Amino acid sequence: MSDLGKVRIRVPSSIKPGDVVQVRTLVIHPMERIERDAQGKIIPKTYNYITRVVVTYLGKTVVAFDTTQSVSENPFFSFAFRATDPGPLSVEFHDTTGGRYEGKVDITFA
Amino acid sequence: MRSVRRRLALPAIALSVLAVGCAVTERAMPEDADTPRWTSRAIPEARGDFRVLPDGRRAAIRYKGWTPADFGAFRTYAYDDARPEPAVLGATIPAGLSGDATKGRVLFLDRAKGPCTGCHLVPGDDVWPAGSVGPDLSTIGDRRLPDPYLYQLLWDPRVVYPNTAMPPWGATGVLTPEELVHLVAYLQTLRAPLPPERDADRNPFTRKTPVGFGDGLDPTNNPAVLLAEDAQAQWEEKGPAGRACADCHPGGAERAMRGVATRYPKHLKAYGRVMSLEDFLEAHGPETTGRPYAAESADNLTMTMLVKMASNGLPVTLDTASPEARAAIARGRATFAKRVGQRNHSCADCHTRDGGAGKFLGGRLLADARDGLTRHLPTWRTSQGEVWDLRKRVQWCMTPLGTNMLAADAVEYAELELYLTTFDDGKPLRVPGIRH
Repeated sequence: MSDLGKVRIRVPSSIKPGDVVQVRTLVIHPMERIERDAQGKIIPKTYNYITRVVVTYLGKTVVAFDTTQSVSENPFFSFAFRATDPGPLSVEFHDTTGGRYEGKVDITFA
Repeated sequence: MRSVRRRLALPAIALSVLAVGCAVTERAMPEDADTPRWTSRAIPEARGDFRVLPDGRRAAIRYKGWTPADFGAFRTYAYDDARPEPAVLGATIPAGLSGDATKGRVLFLDRAKGPCTGCHLVPGDDVWPAGSVGPDLSTIGDRRLPDPYLYQLLWDPRVVYPNTAMPPWGATGVLTPEELVHLVAYLQTLRAPLPPERDADRNPFTRKTPVGFGDGLDPTNNPAVLLAEDAQAQWEEKGPAGRACADCHPGGAERAMRGVATRYPKHLKAYGRVMSLEDFLEAHGPETTGRPYAAESADNLTMTMLVKMASNGLPVTLDTASPEARAAIARGRATFAKRVGQRNHSCADCHTRDGGAGKFLGGRLLADARDGLTRHLPTWRTSQGEVWDLRKRVQWCMTPLGTNMLAADAVEYAELELYLTTFDDGKPLRVPGIRH
């Protein structure tokens, strides 16, 4: 994948105040899997995968996920939240090598 | 095509096949004889090649999971395949055979044979998924049709219905006379009253039609969008010949390629043939960047998607007026109507309203070619977990129908694709799609 850490967020095109909104988000990330040698022993190294996903809305953390290597490459997360006020929604991905990848979307009411 | 012909001349091939190969060379190609010859550059699985097994039989080189069976006895879409449709033959039940309805029912449902249930509904909760291309046979026994008549319909229905889409099962050897007698016995047992229907989706006449898979351009919905973005890096990256796409097409793929894909497939003088974007890339890529872009390779598919995505939203604007285009479209139309293979099917059998379009083939709703089938290709296939272009889709369609596929970049497919794309003329491109 070419753009490591590129975050995409999709929210419905029209939102009314108080709606429960389904958000779909995806990040480009290799999510390295455990590798084993010929004897079947795990090769010790720092595997690069996302361990934490934090969703922030209006400055407050709405939800956080702790993730493991069992999540696929280019992981996709979907969650719902109640849109009370217009403002930014951000999703931040942290990986094991210290990478922080953030995506932002402005929640506006139609 | 040329490479196919050369192979046919190999002494290892049976004489009858050799005879076809010789007859073929005398036929004029549709294109001008002076134009450059086209040799397939497709990946091995997509080239329609064969290898000779130790026992002398030929095995087709196809994708993993596709049958390697050689259907060389049946005609193909190749322009130089001048064999006629199998002859229409009457048949009578051989003496001494008696039908077993239980065996007949197993054969009716056998996926390795027809399956008959792909087109015809019969009672039973284990009948899944039944199709509706052919008539509902749930009470065929009540019609008291004579056994010899039913036997004839199964052996070769063209004797009674000259334009039927039903294959000549006996004449092409898919089912033996003994098996057909069992099937006749089973059909005669299908009488009213019918058992109560427990699942509306079992019956193709009451089944809900599929709703699709959402927005194909949403990267969180369609993995193909992410794959296409991979080609973005290759657009900028210099190939073995020291040049990158971006060197000659500046301003980024999105701007430089805007509108280009709307004009394909088209006839290109330099190559003397109709080409889809995939075909052109396969010739143009090596000539400029030095990268191969073999037909149906990952590089070809992703670059095709990248170029097509630059035209998303723009209407298809085909050349349908030039003499070359008109001749090619006419040949494509003929291919669409040509009956090929063991099943003796044409595209039109399934993909026109007079045939199966709008009906279920097994669990799949058949599309009408006149509604336009090309604007979303290459497309993500949810059932396969990979991107397919139109060529692979057509090659796959051919294989279970008992037809040796042509090379992915064969001119026959290009002209068929051109004909199919005429139904999309003026409609906006939307690549990549997402389909079953």
